[in-house]
Parts: sequence; C-alpha cells; structure tokens
Amino acid sequence: MSSIALEVNLIDELLAEQQRLTPVERFAQRHERAALPAQARYYSDLIPSSKPGLGQQYAFAVDLDVCTGCKACVSACHSLNGLEEHETWRDVGLITGTETDKPYLQTVTTACHHCLEPACLEGCPVLAYDKNPETGIVRHLDDQCIGCQYCTMKCPYDVPKYSSRLGIVRKCDMCTDRLAAGEAPACVQACPHEAIAIRLVDVAEVSAAALPGAQLISGAFDSSYTKPTTQYVSKKRIPRNAEPADAHALRLEHAHWPLIIMLLLSQMAAGIYLTIAAMGALPGGSLQLYAAPVATLGFLALNAGLAAATLHLGRPLGAWRFFLGLRTSWMSREILAFGLFAGAAFAATLFFWVLPRSPLALAGLVGASAMGLLAVFTSVMIYADTRRAFWSLPLTAVRFYGTTILLGATAAATAMSWIGVFFATDLASELRIAMIPLIGVQTLLFAWEFWSNSQALRDPSNPCHRSLRTIRVLLPWLMSARVVLFVVAIFCSLVAIAASGPISAIGVSVALAATFASQIFERFSFFTAVTAPRMPGGI
Amino acid sequence: MSPSAKVREEKRNGLFAGLETLREAVAIRAWKGPLTEELVRNPGKFGLGQVPARLEPDSTTTMVCGFCSTGCGLNIHMRDGQAVNLSADTTYPVNLGMACPKGWEALTPLSAPDRGTTPLVRPSRDAPLQACDWERALVLFCERFKEIRASHGPESVAFLSTGQVTTEEMAFLGCLFKFGMGFVHCDSNTRQCMATSHVAYKESFGFDAPPFTYADFEQSDVLVFVGANPCLAHPIMWQRVMRNPNKPEILVVDPRTTETAMAATQHYAIRPKSDLVLLYGLANLLIASGWIERDFIKAHTLGFEEFAQFVTRFTTDRVCAETGLRPEELWQFAKTIADGRRVSFWWTMGVNQGHESTRTAQAIINLALMTGNIGRPGTGANSITGQCNAMGSRLFANITSLIGGHDANDEADRAKVSKILGIREDVIPRQPSMAYDQIVQGIAEGKIKGLWVIATNSSHSWIHQGDFNRILDRLDFLVVQDMYPTTETAQRADLYLPAAGWGEKEGTLINSERRIGLVKKVHRAPGQALSDFHIFQLIAHYWGCGGMFARWSSPEAVFRMLKEVSREMPNDITGVHDYRMLDENGGIQWPLSEADVSGCQTPGGGSQIPSERRLFEDGCFFTADGKARFLFEEPRKAPEQPDENFPFLLLTGRGTSSQWHTNTRTGKSDVLRKLYPKECYVEINPKDAEGLQIQRNAVVRISSRRGELRATAFVTPTVQPGQIFIPMHYPEVNRLTFPAFDSYSRQPSYKACAVKIEAA
Repeated sequence: MSSIALEVNLIDELLAEQQRLTPVERFAQRHERAALPAQARYYSDLIPSSKPGLGQQYAFAVDLDVCTGCKACVSACHSLNGLEEHETWRDVGLITGTETDKPYLQTVTTACHHCLEPACLEGCPVLAYDKNPETGIVRHLDDQCIGCQYCTMKCPYDVPKYSSRLGIVRKCDMCTDRLAAGEAPACVQACPHEAIAIRLVDVAEVSAAALPGAQLISGAFDSSYTKPTTQYVSKKRIPRNAEPADAHALRLEHAHWPLIIMLLLSQMAAGIYLTIAAMGALPGGSLQLYAAPVATLGFLALNAGLAAATLHLGRPLGAWRFFLGLRTSWMSREILAFGLFAGAAFAATLFFWVLPRSPLALAGLVGASAMGLLAVFTSVMIYADTRRAFWSLPLTAVRFYGTTILLGATAAATAMSWIGVFFATDLASELRIAMIPLIGVQTLLFAWEFWSNSQALRDPSNPCHRSLRTIRVLLPWLMSARVVLFVVAIFCSLVAIAASGPISAIGVSVALAATFASQIFERFSFFTAVTAPRMPGGI
Repeated sequence: MSPSAKVREEKRNGLFAGLETLREAVAIRAWKGPLTEELVRNPGKFGLGQVPARLEPDSTTTMVCGFCSTGCGLNIHMRDGQAVNLSADTTYPVNLGMACPKGWEALTPLSAPDRGTTPLVRPSRDAPLQACDWERALVLFCERFKEIRASHGPESVAFLSTGQVTTEEMAFLGCLFKFGMGFVHCDSNTRQCMATSHVAYKESFGFDAPPFTYADFEQSDVLVFVGANPCLAHPIMWQRVMRNPNKPEILVVDPRTTETAMAATQHYAIRPKSDLVLLYGLANLLIASGWIERDFIKAHTLGFEEFAQFVTRFTTDRVCAETGLRPEELWQFAKTIADGRRVSFWWTMGVNQGHESTRTAQAIINLALMTGNIGRPGTGANSITGQCNAMGSRLFANITSLIGGHDANDEADRAKVSKILGIREDVIPRQPSMAYDQIVQGIAEGKIKGLWVIATNSSHSWIHQGDFNRILDRLDFLVVQDMYPTTETAQRADLYLPAAGWGEKEGTLINSERRIGLVKKVHRAPGQALSDFHIFQLIAHYWGCGGMFARWSSPEAVFRMLKEVSREMPNDITGVHDYRMLDENGGIQWPLSEADVSGCQTPGGGSQIPSERRLFEDGCFFTADGKARFLFEEPRKAPEQPDENFPFLLLTGRGTSSQWHTNTRTGKSDVLRKLYPKECYVEINPKDAEGLQIQRNAVVRISSRRGELRATAFVTPTVQPGQIFIPMHYPEVNRLTFPAFDSYSRQPSYKACAVKIEAA
C-alpha cells in the first residue's frame, strides 16, 4: 500500500471517528431512577405549598437585593420552555441612580406580571387571553390568536411577543402546568440566588395598592392601568431619581405598514363620503353628476384599506371570531364598525348608480358618512386605549380626523375635477367650495402640528418629548420632507382653484399625491416614534 | 340499565361526541391545537421535571461547561445519542443546579451557520480564502512551516493557543510543537488572564497552586475581592457567596461601582492601579497594630521581617494620598480583616492585568500569610481563574514549564518526562519559550516568520490591536485553527483549519478550584471539522513524527500519560483511575495520588473522594523547605498617565454575564445577543459628561495615542470622574489600550491607558 493511501486513510478514519459520539452507556447514569425532579430541593421553599385560596392568586415575587443581573432566568426560561431561537419571555433591565456622588445600580428581572386587569386580555378581539379564575395566571391561547398584535400595543410592559414564523404572539404562562404539578417555573428553578419566587398574593391588596401614580419600580408604567401582581422587594432605598438605563435611548418601533395603509385609505374613504354628503347639502349642486363615481372611489379605497388590514393579521382566517371581544376590545369594535361602514358605503354607492335621484341615495350617503366617522372613531380609540402619550385621545383624534378631511376632500375634488374634464362639465365652482376650506384646514393642521411638536421637543417634561426627540434624531429627514410636501400641496391647490379644466385637474391631483405622501410620513412617525412603555431595559 | 336505556345513552354519547367534534372544528375558543402543541411540556424523566415535549430526552449525561473557569456541571439532554437541550446539573458540586446564561446556551454556538466545515486556503495574499481538502491543507501546513524552519531555524515559527481546549489537546499541542516539530516558542491566551497568578503562586508557594475550594466562599466570615466582579464574570461563584450563612463582611476593592461592589458591605473605590500601595498600607497597619499570626508566620513562612521593614514606608498618609481613600476607611479595612476569623482574599483581572501584577497578587498572598488566613476553611489567597481550562494550560500545556509543572533544565525532570512519553531526552528544548508579547515582538523584528493560532482571537484581544494587526502582515505564513473562519484573526489567515468545539470531543478541563471535569462528545461536528486532538494527530503524521505520538491515540490514553507525568508532583493525579471515575465523582480536585485514594476506601471496597478539598491544611507549602515566601517590591506608576492631551483614564473589563471574551461563540446565540448591548458603549461620570457637554446616549469619539473608536455615552456615577469604562468584548476597544506588561508574568495591563473624549 502506498503511503498516500495510508495518509488518506488516516484522514478518513479520523473524520469518521469525529462523527462517533460518546455513548451514554460508557458513563454513570445517575439520573436513571429518579422520579421526582431533582431541582426540587432548591425550589421547594420558593413556591407556595398550597393552591391560591379565595381572593388570592399566584404572583412573581422578586428579591431585588439578591438579583445580580446574571440573566440565567432569561436563558433557563428559553431552554426549559423550548422557545424559538430569538424568543425570550423574561428580560433583565437595569435602573441606575443619577446623583453624581451616589452610585446606585439595581438589576431588575421581569416577565409577565399576570395583572388583575390585563390590558392584553381586554384588547384582544378574539378572547385569546384567559385569566384563570383560580390561579390568576394570564394565559395566551396560541390556537385562538389571529396575530393582530394589538396586545403588544396594549401591554404596558412589552410582554407579548409576535412571532412572524407562527403568525401569533406568545408569552409567559408562569409555567402553569409546572405549578400545577408542584414544580417551580423555569426562572424560579434557575436563579442562582433564589431571587425569584412564586407567592400567593391577596387580590384586594394588589388592587388597593395600584393607585394612580403607583408603579412596580422606577420607570415602570402606572400600575393603576392593569394592576400588575409582581412584587419587587428591597430592603435598600431606591433613590428617588433612579431611572432605567435605557431612559434616554431612542429607538424606532415597528412601522406596521399594513396599518398605515389601512388607516389612510379608510380615513380617506370616510372623508370622501363626508365630502360628497356636504356638497350634496349645498343648494344647486350637480351631485348626481359625480356622486356615483366618487362614491365608488370611496368604496374602492375602503376595500383596499381593509385588504391591507388583513395583511397585518398573522392568521386572518380566525378573524371571524372578532365579535368575542366586543365587550372590552376596541379592536373588535373597529372590525365591527369597519364592517358596518363597508356595508353602508356599498349601499350608498349602489343607490347612486341605480337610483341616483332617490332619497334613498342621499340617506345612504348620510349613513355611509356617519358610519365612516364612527369607524374612524374606533380607530382613534384603538390607539388612545393603549395609554401611550404620543397616541393620546386628542392627539390621535386630531390626526385621524384631520386625515379624514384632508384626504377625503382632496380625493373627492380630484375625482370631480377629472369628471369635469372628461364630461366637459363645469364643476369649477363646486370644486372651489371644496378646495378653499380645505386649504384652510390643511394650513391649520400643519401649524398645529408644528406648534405642538416644537412645544414637546423643547420641554423634557412633556409626555411626548421622547417621541419628538426620536423623530428629530432618528428620522431627521421626516419634518423637512413634510414641509416640502405641504408647500407643494398648498401651491397645487391654489393652482387648481385659479385654473380650470385639465390644469386644474392636474393641480388637484398633484395636491392629492403630496398630501397622501405627507400623511404616509405622518403615520410612519406615528407608529415608529411612539414611546412604547416597557419595564426598565439595559444599557 | 334496560337495553333501551343503554341504546339511548349510546345514542346520546354519540351525539355528544359528534357535537364535540363539531365544536372543535368551529371552536369559538381554541384551547388546543397545533400551535398550542408547540409549547407543550411533558413530565420529564431522569429527575428533570417537566421539559418541552419537542426536546424530550431519552437519556441524559453530565459534562462540564466550556466557557469560564467556574467549571459548572451541565446535564445534557440526549435524544438518539445527540444533545437536544441542557439544564444545570443539580448535584454537581460546583454549581449545585445552577448555570449562567452562557452555560444554558452552550450548545447553541455549535450550530452557528458560520461554522468552518472544510479547511480554507488563501491562494495569494489578497485573494479570499478558498475551500480545500484536509490532504492539501496538511501538506501545505507542513511544507510551509518546514520551509520556514529550514531557512530561519527552530525559533522562526511560533504558536499562540488557548485556555479553551482540553488538557489532553494542550498537552498534545505543546509536545508536538516542541518535541515532534522541533520548535521553541509558543504561548497561549492564558498569558492575557492567568500568567500573573501562575507566577505569583509559583514564587510564593513553590508551585502554581490555587489553594481554595468553592466551599470557602460559604465558610468565610470576611471575603475580600480585589479587582474582581464575580456577579458578572463568575455568577455561579457568587451563588456560593450568597449561600454563605455567616452574614459575612464582603469587601470589594475596585475603582468602579460594579454589581459586586453594589452587593458588598464595604466598597473601596481606589484610584486605578493603586492597589499595590493599598495592600502594602494594609500590611503596615496590621503589623503595627499587632493583628498578625506570629506563630504561623514563624513556622510556615520566610522573609517576613524584611517585608515588615519594607511596608513601614506605606504610612497611612502616603496610602491615602495615593489611593484616594480616607484614613478611617483604611483603618476600617484593616480592622475588618483583623476581626475576621476566617478571611478569604479573592482576585481576578483587576489584579492580574496590571503593570506590576505579580507583586500585587503576592501582596494579597502576603496578607493571607501574615494573618494566618490560609489552609483553613473559609480562608486563602485565592485567584479566580478566567478560562475553562486555564488551569490545564498552566499545568500541562508544555509551554512555560516542561509538561506537568516540570523544569526543562532539571536533569531528573527531563529523564522522567522522556521516559513516560517515550521520547529522546534531547528533543526537549532547554531554551525557555518566549512570552506572547515577545513572540509578537519577534514577528515585528522579522525573527518569527510563521505563526499558528489555535482557538484564540488575537486580532481582537491583543493589547494595542492596530500594531498587532500590522505586525501580523509581516508573517510568511499564518495558520488559524478555530471553530469559525469568521473571527478577526481567521480572516487574516493563509490557512484555516476547521476545529470541532466543546461538546464535539472528549477530554478534561481543570477549573479554578483545581477540579478536573469531563467533556464528552454529544454533538456532531459540522462537515469536515475535526477536534483539535485529531488535527494534532494528523499534523504529527504529516510532519513525519507520527511514531513519536503513536501512543497518543485517544484523549483518555493521553490522560493516562498525564497521570504518570504528575506522579510525585504537587498536582499528583495518579489516584484518578479513568474518565469514568471523574464522571462518577462530579469531577475531582488535584491532587489525588494513589495513596490519597487508598486513604478514602470505604468498607464496601469502593472509594469516597471528598467532594471539596483545599491545600495547605498542614501549613506545608510546595517550596523545598516547605515555607511560603513574602515577596514585595516598591510600587511604580503605570507607564501611561492621563495628561493634558489625553486627560481620561480608560478602564476595560467584562461587560455582561452573557458575553465571553471576543464574542466568537456568545455572539452566535440569539438569546445571549439580546442580553448585551449591541453597540460599543462607554461609561462616563455625570460631572465629566457635563463638563464635556455630552448628552446622555450621545455618540462620542474616544481616542488614545494609538487609535480611536466611537461609542454611545452611558452617563453614570458608577465610574469616577476622570475615568471611563468600556467593556472588552467590542472589537474596537484594543485599538486604544497601551501595551504595558508585568515584568515577571509578561501579562498585559489592559486596564489603564490615557484617552480623550470628544463629541462625535
């Protein structure tokens, strides 16, 4: 045999040897007979010996004085619950003192707080959350979830996490079946310092303690919102000015593009019906001439928006269960309102095509307008109900109804002007009636927005300060782009009013495009620059 | 029940079953289904409790973790002979059922998409690496290094290895390189972490022998941590501190308010690199106050009187002026040591990485010796090791000492080693190997032309990185052997050899408390990756010295030889029969001689090895006369002090418990990545931030005389004014560091260089 063959053989031999794993039988198998969980010796004192009594529930109890921030709880939860590679149900943040000469550090381990009034549960349109009446554990029903992700916006602690692979959210279930079997949750089992325990808490006490202004720990959201049950205990005094390590970090949240499109198109649709209804109320108009195609435009915009909305759902096929959440969820109400709006819009559009001169047509138009306004209201409430400052009721209402008027009126005007061109009809006076107040509204809205933004940017105590800083620092191009678009829109609107025929139609079309683009930027910043409340994060 | 009633009931049951099916099909609320199934937990066997059903094991096996020197036992969940998951081993005497995030994620980096699966060769200097087969790689390896050796001599090729591979592999590498291939110069990344402890112990105790066992953490009434942040760096050792039932005083000496300093009962935030002055000042106070154990000193030490005379220079005034402490703080420190009945001293990189680190470590040893705090439960001058097998490297790597702690210039040692290994005595070089920094200097001067880097990432981790990387370009041939061809160093290689990792091979690791633990092969290496052990077998064969290593046929065969090498040495492990005995005992601390084992016989014929043993219980040290030495020297200032142009002092260190060194492995786990800041950041005191008008979270530029980086400012009073801190895991940090070295251990001083900060 040649030496080359020998050498090749050695490589092959060692490559084969490399793939032969150590047989388990070669070594002692001490665990073979063990029936009870071996770790029980460490955690038996860390879980309650009895089930919750009447008026009690399970809660995480964290001893801050022994938590050192090793983060074993995060990885143990990940491994012992078989989560996805990037998925974690627990997190460890840091709060630090800001006094110059008094260093203070405190790591904070956090998971789901299994709240008394879970915002995730209230927001869920399909009852995919269940708060167990005996244990108080807030469980997520994975097969019920439609992946709307509204709970990720509702929870002020950033607990539910969306998985794009599964199309649903998942979250901590306090290892509910481990507890049922007398075992400790993974994080409790794994903390080297016994900093995490499960304790029984008195529901009435938790509720009484969750007064407005109360918070779990520095930087956490107001406890009165959801009444979280986790107990953070420390013998040390947490300095009054302590803040989360990420208190000044700016981050862009998810843009939710399907929602941006859905909001803009549905609001535009509502605005279109509203505009033609208003025009119809004017004496001597030629409503019958343009109402049917313009209403059709509204109907198409609305349906395009609804189609975009379904793209946002991880599992749209389950959305028919939306009615389950009507009692508490604005998402359910929005789905219902959008359904009614779509129906009314269809009816109104149909009537204008079939019976344009019938009172039914006008009634349908009024109905569609009313339903449109209602639908926009439910959209406003979806965001206002998250209690995020940047999405507060007044701010969101002005933005959404502003969009309704701007896009609705401009789109209707655009359609009317082209109808005028193609049917050689003079709609100029009606167009002016639509356009002149529109320019006023657009200018007012823009001025309001600029003024309130600069107020918030200047004043660090303003609840929207961080959002505006996020826009300023991370989206520095956004405001300049919107100024340019505003100028273009106003200029083209003026051209449209002054000119007539195709020039006017082109002007108003460009104004529509500019306004739409500006609204896309506005809604993009609405989603990305919002300060999403969460527990203290790391550096 | 009448027949008709029965039929009725059956009908009803059928109807109910039908309804149930219908209800499930259009369930109003779906309580179960395929998505719910994904997370189902089943009652585990093997004492595990519930485990995820999709990762349910059919057997379990225990092995030690391969990240840090704590040496935790991990319970590997096996299915069909392969690892599918793991949990901390409940009964392993080190970690008692706990693990840090790195341990929990230990399997993840093995499946990283950028694992090396074939050797890669660079056809020309600027060409990218290209896949080749092992045959070509091995021929090239031998040809190139032989060419260099032929034209430039045996000192022209060096290796830089690691504290991360098994003891058997380290021994193989050291013996192959020196005895088989005939080269001289080699070193390992343990130079960056443990060289100081090695030299300090060797000089003070006569052998590199950390005396403690982890039970000492639990048995002290005073624990003094100098330059150590175990909360982050060794969380499972801190677990043992937290289990201490004596309500101990915990003293932390650290310029920063670290997590450990926060958890301490006393924190001494001294000026950086003033630790030696502080320790001498404490010695002076203790001696002057008569708080020392004269009987112990007399019976078991040498050189005390000279030391006592020497430290009289370290008056309270001087010490306070140089450390920044107040006199009453210094007094309280000394008093706490004096009042303690079982005082243990612990140090890590804050001491080891200094320009006078050996003397600093010895100043700690001196305190333990003079107060009689050694050899008893809860005492000791204890160096916490860094890497999982730094101790294996210190004992068996055949780098600085002849394998097993022997002396290459001692005739008896040479004869012993040559006999056990079956090699000629004359292949054992008498010339000492150059240290890491000297090898780098050798490359710079053109004396070293070939370099072989094994399982370390010098291009990131070596001090004054820019200079190092420029110097690497002068090599004729650079070979990098690693799990990943993507490390900063591998990216510069002429030849890359794909290595199997921890969990893909067998062997032993030695932890901080001298415990020899076992690693097993529970995961298949990807592609053609081979264990370092197999790679060394192949190189021996291709180099033409296969015969010399014929007996090195398996890790366990090598372990048997290492046992023989250790005979009659302080680290005698002749009493360890085999791997199975290590496995059954939850690891075994050295020494364990054959005589020790026969002393542990149980009536049944087996043997019960005590799970925690410490050294020097008889007061007898490993020096020829059995006495420990007091060693000391006048402190010197760190070579680069802040000045007008570079007014800040840069401290570096561990960032989080989820990062390991240069992040080559920890950066491969999504979970670990979530647990540390993605971008480089710098801690800066609020006063300095205000003075420089640096906003919180602003990006700043930090520069030294050697390089610059950009980092996000984290404004915090945990660093003192005039100092800043950057974690070492970010590759850019060592652009800034100043190449100063301890003159005894040649360990680099990573934690002191002058920098300036500007808004970016």
